[in-house]
Amino acid sequence: MERWKKRIFVLAMAFLFAVSSLTVASGQDTIKIGVIGPMKFVQGIGHWNGATMAAEEINAKGGIQVGPRKMKVELVQADSNEFLSITDATTAMERLIARDKVHFVVGGFRTEAVLAMQDIAMENKKIFIGVGAAHDELCLRVAKDYKTYKYWFRGSPFNSSFLGRTSFIHLGTVGAILRHSLNIPKVKVAIAAEKAEWTEPMIKAAETAIPGMGMEAVGVWRPSAVATDVTAELSAIQRSEAHIIFTIFSASVGIPFARQAGELKIPAVQVGINVEAQKDGFWGATRGMGNYVATMNTYARGVESNELTKAFVDTYVKRFGETPTYTADTYSAIVHGLATTIEQAGTLDPDKLVPIHETRVYKSPSGTVAYLKDAEGRHLHELRWGPGFLTALGVQWQDGELKAFWPNKWKATPEAPEVTYKGMVPYKIPPWMVEKFKK
Amino acid sequence: MALILFYLRKLFSVIKNEVLVLPSRVVVVLFFLFLLLVPLFTKDTYLLRIFTLTSIFAILAASWDLLSGFTGQMNFGHALFFGVGAYSAALLNKYGGIPPWGTVPLGGLGAVLAGLIIGIPCLRLRGTYLALTTLAFPIILMGLVFAFPNITGGELGISGIARLAGSRVADYYIAVVVMLGLCTIMWKITDSKTGIIFHAIREDELAVRTSGINTTRYKLLAFSLSGFFAGISGGIYAHFMRIAGPSTLEVSMSFQVVIWAIFGGIVTIYGPVGAVFVLFPLMEFLRFWQEYRILMFAAVVLLILLYMPDGLFRWLRDKIEKECPRCKIRNIATRDTCRICTASLD
Repeated sequence: MERWKKRIFVLAMAFLFAVSSLTVASGQDTIKIGVIGPMKFVQGIGHWNGATMAAEEINAKGGIQVGPRKMKVELVQADSNEFLSITDATTAMERLIARDKVHFVVGGFRTEAVLAMQDIAMENKKIFIGVGAAHDELCLRVAKDYKTYKYWFRGSPFNSSFLGRTSFIHLGTVGAILRHSLNIPKVKVAIAAEKAEWTEPMIKAAETAIPGMGMEAVGVWRPSAVATDVTAELSAIQRSEAHIIFTIFSASVGIPFARQAGELKIPAVQVGINVEAQKDGFWGATRGMGNYVATMNTYARGVESNELTKAFVDTYVKRFGETPTYTADTYSAIVHGLATTIEQAGTLDPDKLVPIHETRVYKSPSGTVAYLKDAEGRHLHELRWGPGFLTALGVQWQDGELKAFWPNKWKATPEAPEVTYKGMVPYKIPPWMVEKFKK
Repeated sequence: MALILFYLRKLFSVIKNEVLVLPSRVVVVLFFLFLLLVPLFTKDTYLLRIFTLTSIFAILAASWDLLSGFTGQMNFGHALFFGVGAYSAALLNKYGGIPPWGTVPLGGLGAVLAGLIIGIPCLRLRGTYLALTTLAFPIILMGLVFAFPNITGGELGISGIARLAGSRVADYYIAVVVMLGLCTIMWKITDSKTGIIFHAIREDELAVRTSGINTTRYKLLAFSLSGFFAGISGGIYAHFMRIAGPSTLEVSMSFQVVIWAIFGGIVTIYGPVGAVFVLFPLMEFLRFWQEYRILMFAAVVLLILLYMPDGLFRWLRDKIEKECPRCKIRNIATRDTCRICTASLD
């Protein structure tokens, strides 16, 4: 019996070793792209799905032209486990570079982890396109120490300052609609932000921006990021007579907040950031009570930022059965970003690719990509935001479908051209709001 | 020349009479040699990274054993010391411009202070109450980290700090040599008079006090020593990762340490060290099976603890060595009589 156990153990260990070694084996005539992200979570799944679509599309065309030869794309998946362990994230990055010998890396989500992974990629002079983390610091490093950090590029989303600015535009748009449609002279806004450090600057900015938009901020409510019951907060918001709830949610609290607000028929519309409301599963999770909830988003079915959007969204939905989220922008990072830059440079040498990539202006399914410089003219490798570039969308749940209402005849400045994407629909005010306020 | 020969003869004599007589000591020597020679055979940065991180966490696990295993002061918030060490080192480096060789020991001293701060209010607590109270401290510190983001970097942590050394091989040697040194010191402490008092406090604190020993002082000493070693590991970690963030204070970090220590065998020092060297690389090894990685890890830990409740390395040691019932000296399992007192070992 003992001997039998030992044999099984030895065989099992040999098998594990063999399988582990096989994963290190690599092809020589392929461009290896590491896709790193929290693969057990929706963000990492988005990373992988986007990259898979990109590789399939490129390989179907024969690969990427690198000088005289065509090279196919080979993806290497790395589970960063970054929500649970930053250490894991760094070892995953090191493995991609040292063992899997990838040429490029795309992905990353949690800023603390991405900062640590960024250092490893930069030490090894690997181009790392971040798709997920929005913090400004990631790109400020490029300006501060270009020689070291020039291999970093932001792929998606644009930085948190621009995210804040966009959500305030959505707030102002909805405020204007309420003012005109319901004849509310002074629109009152309640700020509902989850208890998390990232929301702090947005709350401060909102408290300043709301009066500047001719509205009144009536208070700030801070439910736990993982709260399952927010009736106390909603009751208080109702008592404050707010007309708009400006949400700043990235965690699961976005679901109970929307569901209970719908159940209680709180006479205030929700607009801002609610990451849960960006997902297809939101309607089911709120049992339809999330109707009329609005949030910022990157993609929506039937909406076209440009001629590339429809093909991308439709293929993604067909392939994976859901609308892409912004972490699926690994697709555009590879297809529209890396592939074209490599073909232009005719090499995989990162030092030759960086100067080409940082000056390129190119279209991607979410808009036109261009990289910013700071006030001193230093490269930031930060995405340009604004009309004609990337803007994101304002989307609203309307009877089970996520529809986009912004940008619709949006003018960034009085002199700027109007921006309207194809597929926009009018913003809908909940009927119970109309009933209460319509005179 | 004569002096060299004298020391060579002494070394030979120690190896022959003190090391080769016990398999566990041979394993320890081989372990030391293996770690010191690894970079001569490979420059694989991935492998070196794993061993560097393993060494850092080995110090942390051993420091938990010193406090909770030997002294019985059940600490479920050991991440506090690690986090204080990491944040202190990062802050001193970023704002004070102090290089890593200065910030790491200062980080350790910062953790000593933290040890005293939590040790004093916890003196009257024991067992579950102590465990739950200590669990709260890293959470409190994390609250402070988020409350003062201008200093601590908030959710992002403090990044962009100096590298531990100029190359991955140098990082490796620093972490490994510090780990081997500190774990040897911890083991010597447990084998000293102070260590015996730590043992005694765990077994019967009242009896120790009636013997005229100031247990309060020794318990605070245990908190401080454990804090110092854990703080050193935190400081090295921060400089190696080049970031000190809230993840160093997470509850999962505290429980990870407890899992390592219990898996290897508490009240041993070598057990937690060995456990980290098994479990941390195992998690990396299981990357090929990503979907079931955590499940496999949990299964391994559960199976080991089910069949080896005193820990893997205690079990292994008991298989290869026997303790003399008369003089308590350990002998190789194949011996029939004690190598010291010749008493029968069966």
